[in-house]
Amino acid sequence: MTSALDRWNPLTPLAAAIALVLVAFAGPQPWTPAAVLALSLAIALASGIGGKVTVLTLLVVVPTFALLVLLDAAFPEPAAETRWIPSRSGTLDALAISLRLGAAIAALGVIVVGVAPRRLTRALAARGLPAWAAYLVIASLEAVPDARRRAEDVLDAQRCRGVAVGKGTGVRGRLRALPALAGPLIVGLVIESEERALALDARAFDARGKRTALAPIADPVGEIWARRVIWLALAAAITWRLWEFAHSLVIAQVSRS
Amino acid sequence: MAMGVVRNALRVVCYPPVPLPARRPLSTLALALIPRAVALNLALGAVVGALKLPVYLDSVGTILVAVLAGPWAGIVTGIVSNSVLGLLVSPALFAFIPVAIVIGWLAGVGGKLGAFRSLAGSIAAGLVIGVAAALASAMIVIALMGGLTASGTGLLTIAIRATFGVSVDSAAKIAAVVTDALDKPLSCVLVYLVLERLPRRLGARFRRAAA
Repeated sequence: MTSALDRWNPLTPLAAAIALVLVAFAGPQPWTPAAVLALSLAIALASGIGGKVTVLTLLVVVPTFALLVLLDAAFPEPAAETRWIPSRSGTLDALAISLRLGAAIAALGVIVVGVAPRRLTRALAARGLPAWAAYLVIASLEAVPDARRRAEDVLDAQRCRGVAVGKGTGVRGRLRALPALAGPLIVGLVIESEERALALDARAFDARGKRTALAPIADPVGEIWARRVIWLALAAAITWRLWEFAHSLVIAQVSRS
Repeated sequence: MAMGVVRNALRVVCYPPVPLPARRPLSTLALALIPRAVALNLALGAVVGALKLPVYLDSVGTILVAVLAGPWAGIVTGIVSNSVLGLLVSPALFAFIPVAIVIGWLAGVGGKLGAFRSLAGSIAAGLVIGVAAALASAMIVIALMGGLTASGTGLLTIAIRATFGVSVDSAAKIAAVVTDALDKPLSCVLVYLVLERLPRRLGARFRRAAA
């Protein structure tokens, strides 16, 4: 899929997403994660992937918030008088946790949905990611649909042979059917890997030296500087938070003495 | 550049040494297997879904690679597997990369110690891996999500808290152990059964490559 983020070098949105996640966790709660969440969703909307990122975020945030509030309402502190009514502190805690989680998912979701993994891996390889690591990510992404299709084929084949699958078979019966279904799939994939290894060796995968990309990804000077600014801003924000933390410790020490 | 010398009336051609392959921690065979193992971790979901079993079996590929190619290969498989899951399913899964590392490393160590040569050893290895993975996973859930995940394990945590009256953190740990105590031994037994059926020649190739 293509998005507005394809105009950028993938490393720039990746740097921005990592910085946003760290800021969401390190900044004052719950306002920083709320701001990061809003900013990430705004970026997603501007990039034309707002719907998918919002769904991805809500699928985690809403159940987490609901479960945390339910937990607080069902099992209040011993001192609390009312049950089944969420406490203010419990709801605020649940909100802070859910917002933090939502901010992280929305920021990373922009990368997951908006940047093609193959393009991201190529950009990382151009910046020094070893060839074997880049191969692992790309080959894994390509192997997933094939393995899923093969799993369906094995399921169909074993059903034709009369292997009982599904409800009404009993847990023990279904457990007994597991090796018959998973075994051929796993053995087939392992045997296939030997052929792949031979193909890799035949294509000089081990060769030393710098590799050239067939379609290099542009990295304009402006984006290089943008990434530097992002890292500097992140370092400054973390330093500020650490200084604040150290300062609060000193104040606590002074007030105790 | 080749250099010719004449020895005992035979012409011997000496070639300059071939440059060594690029240094990397994994054999080509392991590199070829890892993407398939990652895909297996995801594809087994279809089998589990069809059988309607209360397990994930999402670490079988990681355990298999770790046993065949060693702990490092297991760790790399775990990292790649959770990264690919994070890219394909939900970014929340990036947070569980340390759990996959624990599984890959422990399975590799178990393989080196010969735990996967017998059914009992595989079950024991599965229990150890299950408890370690559960504790690692529970710590992440407690630190990032307040002890609850938006899944069946989250509901199990609430049920344990309601039944035994323990704290949320303890309930999260117990729920994770209960879930993984069934899942990981079953995964290890599956790997043991596959290893038994694997052609001996292929098993030997992996052992040589990992040595």
